[in-house]
Amino acid sequence: MATLQIEKLTKTFPPHSKDGRPVRAIQDISFAMSGQVFVSLVGPSGCGKSTLLNIVSGVDSPSTGTVTVTQDGKKARLGYVFQDSRLLPWRTVMQNMLYVSDLPEEEGRANASKYLEMVGLGHAHDMYPGQLSGGMQQRVGIARAFSVSPDLLLMDEPFSHLDAITARSLREELQVMWNATKKTVLFVTHDVMEAVQLSNRIITLAHGGTVFDDTTIELPFPRKASDPEFAAQQAEILGRFETMELERTAAKG
Amino acid sequence: MSAATMSRQPGFANSSIGRALRSSWGARVTSYFAFVVAWQIVGASFFRVPTPWETLDFIWREVSGGDHGGVRPGQFWEHFSATVPRFAIGISVAFVIGVVVGLLIGSFSFVRALLSDVLLVFLALPAIIWAFLTVMWFGLGWEAPVYTVILSAAPFVAVNVAQGVRAVSPELRRMSDAFGVPRNRRIRSMLLPAITGYLFTGLRFAVIIGWNAVLLAEWFGAVDGVGWRARLWYDAARYKGFVGWAIIFIVFIFLLDGLVLSPLQRRAFRWRASPSSDLKAEVGAVDTESFTNTAIGL
Repeated sequence: MATLQIEKLTKTFPPHSKDGRPVRAIQDISFAMSGQVFVSLVGPSGCGKSTLLNIVSGVDSPSTGTVTVTQDGKKARLGYVFQDSRLLPWRTVMQNMLYVSDLPEEEGRANASKYLEMVGLGHAHDMYPGQLSGGMQQRVGIARAFSVSPDLLLMDEPFSHLDAITARSLREELQVMWNATKKTVLFVTHDVMEAVQLSNRIITLAHGGTVFDDTTIELPFPRKASDPEFAAQQAEILGRFETMELERTAAKG
Repeated sequence: MSAATMSRQPGFANSSIGRALRSSWGARVTSYFAFVVAWQIVGASFFRVPTPWETLDFIWREVSGGDHGGVRPGQFWEHFSATVPRFAIGISVAFVIGVVVGLLIGSFSFVRALLSDVLLVFLALPAIIWAFLTVMWFGLGWEAPVYTVILSAAPFVAVNVAQGVRAVSPELRRMSDAFGVPRNRRIRSMLLPAITGYLFTGLRFAVIIGWNAVLLAEWFGAVDGVGWRARLWYDAARYKGFVGWAIIFIVFIFLLDGLVLSPLQRRAFRWRASPSSDLKAEVGAVDTESFTNTAIGL
């Protein structure tokens, strides 16, 4: 089972101009997650959520602190779903799936087909991304991430660029997919409702890149926004957000 | 007849001929026709300008090996077959050099700092300078035209490829990083397709510049080839011969572009074909139920 361990992580970016100050995106964050969990990182824009995900994926490096992702003591395999689909526009859906595959050709095709079937795109193998709607492209992005059999799946606001109806539909599909695969997922979002619907743990980051809150969600799956318990949970998290904002305003004086 | 009824009657502008003339195809035919008419008027007015008919007659005699009024028979194929291999070899080598140098300049800031000014010098040097220099270096023969093509065309490929590499989407690079895609696969599936547009722009420039270069080099430094043949008519003050060869040069570039480069480009960009609404609707019709059923069957 994949284990993500983050200890005293800080990330500072160099100043934008000569006279500017370095920008601290993440400040002294520590948390761990392991096993069949769906963890959401929630927070306002600019609190370092995506930066944290980039560091976990290895695309970016920490300024100080450590991030380790292991699977049974070995380096874990990662999958990534981005805000936009990030498909190669000049490659077909199947070729995009094979682009990230490390399986032999035939095996890779069979594996890709399985995940494309799962997202309802079993008959779109030979289509180019430009022939698909935004929601369909994001489905391919999700299938691509699952197809590499990731030990840890990183998702960076994958539904934020979609219209509300498509996003709702994809959230439901993701719930089904996660329940079927039980991957370890680290999911970034600024949408509390989305986090409550999908996660069994929500970590809230505050402005300045610190951990403000860490909550376990016990609601059974599948979760519906119309469920009173769901609404209560969402209200509780939103209440903590308001507290956070009030404290911030007070600190500013 | 009322005014309203009259206004619905089809006039010339709305007739099929009127619509055809206003289409892009019609506009193109009109521009050719206007050019030929203008050429005919100028040719009929000044004896140093051959008319279109005289020029066509010359081209036909040159191509068919016919007699040029007792001067010498047409030798188009002899000279054309001497020039084309020089041009093809020059363009091929220029393309390979241009792509390699462009990839290096686009990928590594050190190489960019090292070569960008050198590249600018090469871009600024006109083909005629290379033609003179290569004739001085290699004398009369096949080498001067080939090297002139390489030296003139390669920088245009390189500068376009370098620009293409730098324009590759950082999002796609990060995606490739996040999934740990191997370098060879990245070059084959991400980098090269991403720079294809720039590659074709570079190739088109290279072909035009290279064709000018081969003609110039043959003009000054060869004993055969189309450039040499054009010069023969120029030296003999045979206007229709010189203009005839100019027309042949233009037609060659048009044919090369229309029969080789454009189809290649269309093939390379077939993924840009406009989305089919039927296909989109078909895929868009996928519902959560089908997704759920297949997911549970995992």
